[in-house]
Amino acid sequence: MKLSNALYFISEASKSLSRNRLLSFATIMTVTTCILILGMAVLLTLNASRFINRLESDVQMIAFLDKSLTKTGINEVQEEIEKIDGIKSIKFISRDESLKELQETYGSEYDLEATLGKNPLPDTFKIEAQNPQDVPKIAEQVNKISGVYKVNYGQGVVERLFQVTHWVRIISVAFIIILAAAAVFLIATTTRLSIFARRKEIYLMKLIGATDWFIRWPFFIEGIFLGVVGSLLAVTLLALGYGALLQNITSMGIINLISDMSLLGKVYLSLVATGAVLGVMGTSISLNRFLNV
Amino acid sequence: MLVQFYNVSKIYPNGVKALDDISLKIDRGEFLFLMGPSGAGKSSLIKMLFREELPTRGQIFVASRSIVRMKRSEVPKLRRNMGIVFQDFKLLENKTVSENIAFAMKVVGASNRDIRQRVPEVINMVGLKGKEDCLPTELSGGEQQRVGIARALANRPLMLIADEPTGNLDMETSMEIMELLYDINRKGTTVIMATHARELVKQAHKRVIMLERGRIVEDTPNGETLL
Repeated sequence: MKLSNALYFISEASKSLSRNRLLSFATIMTVTTCILILGMAVLLTLNASRFINRLESDVQMIAFLDKSLTKTGINEVQEEIEKIDGIKSIKFISRDESLKELQETYGSEYDLEATLGKNPLPDTFKIEAQNPQDVPKIAEQVNKISGVYKVNYGQGVVERLFQVTHWVRIISVAFIIILAAAAVFLIATTTRLSIFARRKEIYLMKLIGATDWFIRWPFFIEGIFLGVVGSLLAVTLLALGYGALLQNITSMGIINLISDMSLLGKVYLSLVATGAVLGVMGTSISLNRFLNV
Repeated sequence: MLVQFYNVSKIYPNGVKALDDISLKIDRGEFLFLMGPSGAGKSSLIKMLFREELPTRGQIFVASRSIVRMKRSEVPKLRRNMGIVFQDFKLLENKTVSENIAFAMKVVGASNRDIRQRVPEVINMVGLKGKEDCLPTELSGGEQQRVGIARALANRPLMLIADEPTGNLDMETSMEIMELLYDINRKGTTVIMATHARELVKQAHKRVIMLERGRIVEDTPNGETLL
């Protein structure tokens, strides 16, 4: 693009923006609101999914072994378990260790061994899955191995948790899509008005022999400007708000929020980029109808 | 040969047959009147020259290029060969005379240097010296049409297409505009003009094509048999 043309496009865009000052302002405010809510939703989703990931990674299986199993039998079971796909780690915990652990939780006031007579606990394997979602499936396979008496992983509760997190993810994505569509629609309306105000000029330009891109550029610049300025405002507000939240909550030490600056920076940058993309999308929707001369 | 129409018909989606099997040729440097009652097909014919409309049947060549087969992206180049003059002038109200002309050059990508040089030239050519900084609303109808013509000439077109250029002007002003068009034609630009104004055509002694219900009913080299 020639420099003189670029300057011309920018000056046309700014003329049109200042001619429709009120509408431009309203559009920027709407974009700001949309991107702000979008940003909040993104931060919420990120934090929620981190929280959910934590919950999920806590999911592990305990395989109880038959008490009659010999040392070699235990080894065979371990080999069988290791053959299953998707297992991250497997740890043998002998009945004596389990008892010791139990004793520790109860404290030294109760002598468990004395009370119970002999150790009633079975030997166990503690199994972690690479992907927490696979736990129920793996548990089922482990349960089939002979020598395994029972597998425990919080049946029911885990399935429930995954169901909930699945829906939380779907709903936040849907919410974000709806908001983005609203922003695109608003930018389309604004650029449509400024295109409409200049439709005679566009027709004339077409007949004189202007290329489509020559006509499009000022409107794209206008749309991108609205999108970027709106999203910059939103990101500023969001960064200030989240920063304050981070400071207060971290000092309270209840919830562990994402505070990784490079990740947050990426989020903010993508929100501004989203604003620009929304501007381009909104403008293209309005433009294509007017250029068919 | 600058323009060739071969068996061109135009039927609009609503069923109106605007042109019916038209064939004609226009040479470089010609001055041509298109005449006929309203709805005879003058506007459709003119719109096909700069490809605002495509024919339903038939073939059109402008400067040896087929308009029908032309890609959408090539249309701007075609239109840069043509200057179009409108009945309602189509000047931009918020731009001065100079700016209106510069605008036409700007949109086809002329450099600022070319624009600075060419704009005074065409303003001189149409006799508007001294009015460069006037807004269209400050000008008479005749003067506004001169701006329209200057704008059409700015990009040095091969042909000037004028659709009822005197339709909104009184007789005296119309004759002045005609003198200007003859002058442009003498300098080598082909002029195609659609008009209702019999008086103007009678005095002109130029080629006249008479349209009626989408057909050419007369094509006379100097307009004599016509009236």
